[in-house]
Amino acid sequence: MRIAIVSTFPPGKGSLNEYAFHFVNHLRQKSEVSEIYILADELPAGESYPTEDIVAGQAPLFFRTCWKFGAGDNALRIRNAVQEIQPDVVLQNIQFATFADQRIPGALGLLSPWLVKSDRVVSTVLLHNIMETVDLNKAGFGGNPIIEAVTRLAGNLFTRLILRADLVAVTIPKYVEILTEKYNAEHVVLGPHGAFEEIPEPDFKLPDGPMQIMTFGKFGTYKKIEALIEAFEILQNELDTPLELVIAGSDSPNTPGYIDGVRETYKHIKNIRYTGYVAEEDVPRIFQESAVVVFPYNSTTGSSGVLHQAGSYGRAVVLPDLGDLAELIEEEGYQGEYFEPDDPETMAEAIKKFLVNEDYRNEVGLRNYTAAAGLPMYEVVDWYLLHFERLLNQKKAITSPMKPQEVN
Amino acid sequence: MELTHRTSNDTDIIELSGRFDAYEVPTVTQWFEDNTSAKYVVVNLSGVSFIDSSGLASLVKALKRCRQNKGDLYLSNLQQAVRIIFELTRLDKAFQIFDDEASALEAITSQ
Repeated sequence: MRIAIVSTFPPGKGSLNEYAFHFVNHLRQKSEVSEIYILADELPAGESYPTEDIVAGQAPLFFRTCWKFGAGDNALRIRNAVQEIQPDVVLQNIQFATFADQRIPGALGLLSPWLVKSDRVVSTVLLHNIMETVDLNKAGFGGNPIIEAVTRLAGNLFTRLILRADLVAVTIPKYVEILTEKYNAEHVVLGPHGAFEEIPEPDFKLPDGPMQIMTFGKFGTYKKIEALIEAFEILQNELDTPLELVIAGSDSPNTPGYIDGVRETYKHIKNIRYTGYVAEEDVPRIFQESAVVVFPYNSTTGSSGVLHQAGSYGRAVVLPDLGDLAELIEEEGYQGEYFEPDDPETMAEAIKKFLVNEDYRNEVGLRNYTAAAGLPMYEVVDWYLLHFERLLNQKKAITSPMKPQEVN
Repeated sequence: MELTHRTSNDTDIIELSGRFDAYEVPTVTQWFEDNTSAKYVVVNLSGVSFIDSSGLASLVKALKRCRQNKGDLYLSNLQQAVRIIFELTRLDKAFQIFDDEASALEAITSQ
């Protein structure tokens, strides 16, 4: 299969260049792929792409500079390049502002999937955002409300043009729903973003010394540590195992002095370590030394970055039973034990389950690691290839001459 | 997740049950690693209540392998929640999906 990819690409610095780089690096390793053409944007003076990139055992990469950020004729130039190369499939790795930060050239560039398809080449798009969720100001299309309304209207029109492609992949399930329902599009697919790098499998062995119960973050607003300290006191009284509570992090900027206040209030409780600000290089050690990571939150807007960190280090987690948080994080593949927000008793009970049962702790840690590791990019590209093959077979079926009927 | 295996007229039938996510994927991958020459496989998903992208990816990989062996991988008995994920990803167009195992086996026999 010969594939052309319209995208920014390193050394180009346009957005999505890194995504394209990883995607192409995995795509070229697949046996179904024979050649890849990168239809890239023009680089600043003095910089250039290699003409080709040949690696043994992988599909060769060929570079063709055929569009320029901000230009109005990008769609035509891309179409010309595709006509010249005649690939089996074109994949456009784009978002709404890929071709320009000005409305008209930006929109004209988005005609390219439709133009490519009109030349009977299988035309596919990986669309990283959709107009319905774009912040027009941040995207450079903002201004006054009337202009925004006109831009959205134009956005709808150009979304319809993008949807003229044979296949439009988006990386978020909600985008599939919006495009399917609003535009009645049945060829929009979910293509997971994919993880660029593999996270190394964690070591579940804990260091010698007391078992560490750790919380990580900036405290004082919705992350409060009083109940956690009281839960820790309960655990120290109940268990014979030596324990240490690690409060890793500092005050939230909105609550200066919070940690010092708590420290003073609970100074009678032993074996609590306040780390203060944790430098980047110390983060892995802090997580790796913990038996369990606790999220003493009393409100939340959803899954957190700390949960992802805890997962990537294979740690068991203890979370508040808030709204649909449990359902949300379990859908992401994570697992934990839950407590009533701000309630030391149930928090202690939840933490204890991991402290007293090493097998359970390691099983949940491994599950959280697999959730954090995500779907590797090399598996994501298989999904695309499967769709490409299906589209090529469909095209072949349509364009093949009908077999002559036998006449009796 | 549990995996049970049986055969019917040279077709491998794998029955899965439970949650099919990244943590459970190795169970399925291992079966295909142990049976590299599997050609026609029916995966009965009647007991699977949840599937995530890693679960789907493992089936995609298995499908590719069966097709490389000049066979195919058919799916049957999808619960509604699982069917929705296949529709969302449009992988329902890439796989042949049957309401029940008997229909999948019949489709293989009639090839």
